[in-house]
Amino acid sequence: MSWTFPKLVSRSAPVILLILTLAAAIAFAAVSHLVSRFTADQQARGRTLYAQGLADAGASRYDDAIAAFRAALTCDPTNSQYQLSLARALRDSNDPRRLDEAESYLVALWQRSPQDAAVNLALARVAAHRGSIEDATRYYHNAMYGVWNSDPDSSRSKARIELIQFLLKKGAPDKAESELMALATALPPDPASHLQAAQLFAQAGDYAGTLAQDREVLALDPANLSALAGAGESAYRSGNYATAQRYLQAAVNANPEDANSRQLLATSDLILRTNPFHSHISDAERNRRITTAFAQAGDRLTECAQQRGINLNTTPSPLSSLQSRWTAAKPDLARLRSPGETDLPDTIMDIVFQIENQTADTCGPPQGIDLALLLISQKREAASQ
Amino acid sequence: MSHLASANTSSAPLPQTPSTRFQTPRRLFSSLEGVFNDEVFFLILSVFIGIFSGLAVVCFRLAIDWMHLALLGPLPQTHSWRLFAVPSLTGLVVAVLVLRVFPGIRGSGVNQTKAALYIFNGFIPFRTAIGKFICAALAIGSGQSLGPEDPALQIGASIASALGRQLQISREKLRLMAPVGAAAGLAAAFNAPISAVLFVIEEVIGRWSAGILGSVVLSAVSSVVIVRWFLGSEPLFRIPVTTFKRPTELIAYAFLGIVGGLASVAFAKSIGYLRPRLKALPRWTQYFQPALAGLLVGLIAFLGFPQIMGAGYDSMDQAMHGQYAWKILAILAVLKILATTVSFVSGTPGGMFAPTLFIGAMLGGAVGDLERIFFPHLTGSTGTYVLVGMGVLFAGFLRVPMTSVFMVLEVSGNYEIIVPVIVANTFSYLISRSLQPVPLFDMLTRQDGLILPSLEEDREETILRVEDAMLPVPATILNAQEYVDANARRIQDSPDSTFLVRMHPSGWNIISRDQLQRLFQEGKGELTLSSVLSAQSLPSLYPDLPLDSALRYVNDYPLVPVVNRANFRQLEGVISRDSVFKKYGSGRAIEVTSPN
Repeated sequence: MSWTFPKLVSRSAPVILLILTLAAAIAFAAVSHLVSRFTADQQARGRTLYAQGLADAGASRYDDAIAAFRAALTCDPTNSQYQLSLARALRDSNDPRRLDEAESYLVALWQRSPQDAAVNLALARVAAHRGSIEDATRYYHNAMYGVWNSDPDSSRSKARIELIQFLLKKGAPDKAESELMALATALPPDPASHLQAAQLFAQAGDYAGTLAQDREVLALDPANLSALAGAGESAYRSGNYATAQRYLQAAVNANPEDANSRQLLATSDLILRTNPFHSHISDAERNRRITTAFAQAGDRLTECAQQRGINLNTTPSPLSSLQSRWTAAKPDLARLRSPGETDLPDTIMDIVFQIENQTADTCGPPQGIDLALLLISQKREAASQ
Repeated sequence: MSHLASANTSSAPLPQTPSTRFQTPRRLFSSLEGVFNDEVFFLILSVFIGIFSGLAVVCFRLAIDWMHLALLGPLPQTHSWRLFAVPSLTGLVVAVLVLRVFPGIRGSGVNQTKAALYIFNGFIPFRTAIGKFICAALAIGSGQSLGPEDPALQIGASIASALGRQLQISREKLRLMAPVGAAAGLAAAFNAPISAVLFVIEEVIGRWSAGILGSVVLSAVSSVVIVRWFLGSEPLFRIPVTTFKRPTELIAYAFLGIVGGLASVAFAKSIGYLRPRLKALPRWTQYFQPALAGLLVGLIAFLGFPQIMGAGYDSMDQAMHGQYAWKILAILAVLKILATTVSFVSGTPGGMFAPTLFIGAMLGGAVGDLERIFFPHLTGSTGTYVLVGMGVLFAGFLRVPMTSVFMVLEVSGNYEIIVPVIVANTFSYLISRSLQPVPLFDMLTRQDGLILPSLEEDREETILRVEDAMLPVPATILNAQEYVDANARRIQDSPDSTFLVRMHPSGWNIISRDQLQRLFQEGKGELTLSSVLSAQSLPSLYPDLPLDSALRYVNDYPLVPVVNRANFRQLEGVISRDSVFKKYGSGRAIEVTSPN
């Protein structure tokens, strides 16, 4: 073999390079053809596997679904839909070890398309699985303000409702309530949506919000039983017994088998009949109610002491102390009719409320008028309206 | 430097005929020829090598995927007869092809490329590329526990060698074609150009020079561009969040390095023990060895560990994301060592890179998880330990410390873990080196009866330096500005026969006692020494130079000054021919007397 590189190069380097370029171009074209055919086959195979994975995931066979999605991804490694579905299956498989991998797929997708609402929602759910309020809130918000491929308004509402449910579950009602406020302003005129919002407000302990949402439902569907009962209960829970009575009465009329509403209605009636601080009653009626309440409290105190085996005259206890105060206040009842005794009703009712609270602590929840008095004491402000 | 302007283009102008419309391209070519000297041409050729290797590796990867789908199906199956039947039957086919059609494609291909560089003047038959392509795709696609990187390296080298031969390039350049193609093949298979370049420099070529580096880099980059063009730039793994917060955690990574070093030694020793024994069996058994290896690999998969089949990148990815408990990770590491050992020693063509990464990944994850059980405050994630573990096995088993660090960095794209990687790799490398003095690739070459330079031994060899042979500063040093008679008087009491002369303003010269006395007798006593000495200065050396560099002077000059690098007027000592050869003699004596 002759080693004549310099001569060869000096004579024909451009020719050689031209030939090499042509050869490379031909090889490139051939490989392109091969790769495109292989890729097409792989993509078809990937679609089949993906469909299989979706069916498995739909039937909660997550291990099979994960295997199918993984196989689909080996056929089409950059397919975002496959990655998203695999991440969802990994997340939903309830195996904590798989959350990392799910998150890894989702973060990669998020980096490619940070505005994608579906990816953000999936990431939010992973964060929710981990219990991270901060991350979950961030991703849920991204999902709400992100780009949805279909039905954006409804999807955004659903995402916010999911966030609220997560926050309530994690014991963060304040954060949930602020989300609820935002949700309430953007709800479509649809009874079901308002009803769901009402339930969430109730879970957050915001009965005013619940009542408002139930009223929205009733405005759209006046005969809605759930809304009637819900409005009555939320008014009852917020101490607005007059309103509660009205809605509960309507609920019981519409559905006589609604035992809960019936019970709440009975209590509301009782409260409205016994509350001495109600603004629309005469002085005589108020004095009568105070006198009745005072007597009822005395009876409750005696019963509770007997129940607990406490001798009110000899054994020192909170009940004994209240008995002493009750006995000392009894002569004051006669002065209720005196026009100058403006503080006396409050003083007497304070003793009544203390007795009801103390006996509730000592002997358990009361019934009947005692329950009404206890609730009045707890919601005095609202009950007096 | 060959500058072109060749006679046949410049001295023979074309006649002005109707065909002169062809003059333009000819003139273009002749002017272009002026651009290409052999170095430039070789660099451009490297780009083409990269392109062709990249295209070949794209096809190779498609072939492996296609084989896998055709033979094992798209969905992983547990407890299916296919798991052991396919690798066994494919093993038989591969054995026939290797023994009958494509001899010389056994093993990984790294050694063959190295042998081409050092022994066969860069010659690798193109048939090797074809055989390696078909047999490795069959073996890996059917689930043998081997990787595609080393075969890709050999395919690249083979293409480069064939191209070089076709172009009849010089022997010197043809030798370099193989490593240039190897870098292209490895970079394309690994999708990691830096690691490929470093591996080829560190393991195959063993030296750095601008020409080689430029060619290797160009070929690696162009092949990676081709692969990414066709197969996308998705990394091999989805890298999880990797963390390194507390320096005290380096102890945990050092422990991983120790475990990895021991595993590397076990892996290398098992290959070193079994390979020559299986090769020594009767030739007919070699038809069945790959099939038996496939059967064993398939049985392991059948019994519940299909992750060990093939290269295993998917399983590494899952390990990186904490999909396996530490016990499973540890079992997978052990089983992969077993499966890869039997696959490799059976003579099935396939590479060691991917299995090494697999074992490292599983071992890293297992050690990391186990450490966290005992020390829950450790902050490194499983993914971090898996990544570090990959580097640990690379450093310990393949014995390429630089490549191992850069491989992890390149794969992870995260420089935060560089310190754990360096610490763990260093431990692994040192342990492996101390327990297994001969690196894996050198051991394989020696088993094949070839003596190739061990680049690790070269790296670690103690180099003799000038200071080792240096004699003390002579008691008498003459001054060139003094008169001849004064200098003659100074040497009267000296026993030396040759004297160094300090020249002014700088430099050194030399004069013998006889010369000086002759000058004195010739009546030149009142002349300065500088006026009678040759103007040409004596060459000087620095103490840290390799002793080899002194050899070119000691025959011509009886004494050579050794000067300080910061102050060349400051004499550190002298060397003479005797002192140099005495030093080489003692070095040889040590070499001969030291066992092994």
